[in-house]
Amino acid sequence: MSTTAVGTSCGEARHAANECDIKVFSCPKLGNSLEEYEDAWAHRHTGTPVGIRVAVADGATESSFAKLWAVLLAESYVRSELAGAEFFARLKPARRLWRRRLAGRPLPWFASEKAEQGAFAAFLGVEIDAHKNRWTALAVGDCCLMHVDDVGKRMRAVETFPLQRSSQFTMSPYLIGSRSDGESLQDRIQVSKGSLRDGDMLLLATDAMAAWLLKRHEEGRPLWKWLYRKLGTPESFAAMVAYGRKNGLRNDDFTLVRVIHHDSRVEAKES
Amino acid sequence: MAYQAEISRKNPGCFLFLVDQSESMEDPFGGGEAGRRKAEELATILNKLIHNLSIRCAKSDSIYDYFHVGVLGYSEESCKPALGGELSGRSLVPISELANKPLRIEERTKKSDDGAGGVMDQTVKFPVWFDPYSKGGTPMCAALKEATKITQAWCQEHPNGFPPIVINITDGEATDGDLVAEARKLAAVSGEDGSVLLFNIHLSSTAGPSIELPGNGSKLPDQHAKQLFEASSTLTPFMVARATELGMPAEENSRGFIFNAQPLHVIHFLDIGTRPANVHLR
Repeated sequence: MSTTAVGTSCGEARHAANECDIKVFSCPKLGNSLEEYEDAWAHRHTGTPVGIRVAVADGATESSFAKLWAVLLAESYVRSELAGAEFFARLKPARRLWRRRLAGRPLPWFASEKAEQGAFAAFLGVEIDAHKNRWTALAVGDCCLMHVDDVGKRMRAVETFPLQRSSQFTMSPYLIGSRSDGESLQDRIQVSKGSLRDGDMLLLATDAMAAWLLKRHEEGRPLWKWLYRKLGTPESFAAMVAYGRKNGLRNDDFTLVRVIHHDSRVEAKES
Repeated sequence: MAYQAEISRKNPGCFLFLVDQSESMEDPFGGGEAGRRKAEELATILNKLIHNLSIRCAKSDSIYDYFHVGVLGYSEESCKPALGGELSGRSLVPISELANKPLRIEERTKKSDDGAGGVMDQTVKFPVWFDPYSKGGTPMCAALKEATKITQAWCQEHPNGFPPIVINITDGEATDGDLVAEARKLAAVSGEDGSVLLFNIHLSSTAGPSIELPGNGSKLPDQHAKQLFEASSTLTPFMVARATELGMPAEENSRGFIFNAQPLHVIHFLDIGTRPANVHLR
């Protein structure tokens, strides 16, 4: 099953694959309309390996047609069979589609010149191998994966990727462009792998949300338990965003994908 | 803490340019190619700044009013709005209106990558808002007074907004009073988020290396440059960080002063959202 959403206000989508429980929450920047939301997300059940692919992408404010590019990146990843850096070498069809959508469109001089620069987005894709209980993550830019384990007991952030600290977020990250600019992405691609246990939680978040969650974690006030137990509806996400805005959450588009992993072997034993 | 206000369409930023149109701007520019006049350099800078600001605010097929922009020209005995055509007489104009109403759009040829390892000629649109003009004295103090009035009104209308940035482009000699005293009055205009920031771009006939965002005036070549440095605001910490990121030699106490260089990065000193590091600024 694959879903890509843009323009949903504090939206939620739940798809309980056999191996994972996935919920997606999103919300546009305060002051912007739903149509101006420029993040994207996608997830899809996969056969080889058996598991799931999840992606989030964050279109850059200072680029044009960025929402379209973010959607194309997220969709391309979940439909791809490539989980490593080689995925980025196969972006030609997505780039072509981006150009086609703009072709022939009458644009004023400034819009035309901005489109010439291309659109830019941060990207994070995670492939979960349900049989091996492993994840492989791929990132360019500042969308972040947070892997939290021992859910319900100690709740510990096992890994945060590709950024580890809230101070590492900047307003000018290196992003993926919709036009091949001749510069090699190679040095900017980051890949990480990890093991999953039954009940582990993976959070995929766009930059402002990720930075805030990491900041809370650094301050000894993590929201992991709340995210696992209480975050369930668009209303609860909206309440968290409203609280965050009064407590250091930067105004931006927000996307948060929560994946809870279920180890099928544990379930089989229990049954 | 000051200078933290978010810039948005609801709470836009303000750039007010003060441009020297005195007779001395006819003199050769010391920082560029031989035979180029300071008035020509000023027009190039202003057109590029407005051009780049328009591109920065362009969003898909429209343009977002993140900024309002004004241009005041000072020459002879007076200071007045210097935008022409349909924008004549207006002190501040939303960037969307400015982008849509240049004096003319010229077509120019530039070399670009042909995608196959070579170069090709590409025709590009080149909007022009401002032509070189120079006559009479340099009533810079009158310009600073007018800027004080305009920014006071702006701060009243946008009390929680990011304070206006005034950018004065001149060859440095005020003929109508104490430049530093007037600059201080202007920089005292304030809203909830801090006071007006005044930057000075000095286009001198003196040849020599360009100087950008100095922390002190010791290396400046003449008294006019030192006076303009004195009249310039200290950069905010965000601006120092952004300038450093853009390759400018900024430091903690850097002032918004540039000597014989094009200040094209200045419009990036205000944040409007994620800027891809891999877009090369012109």
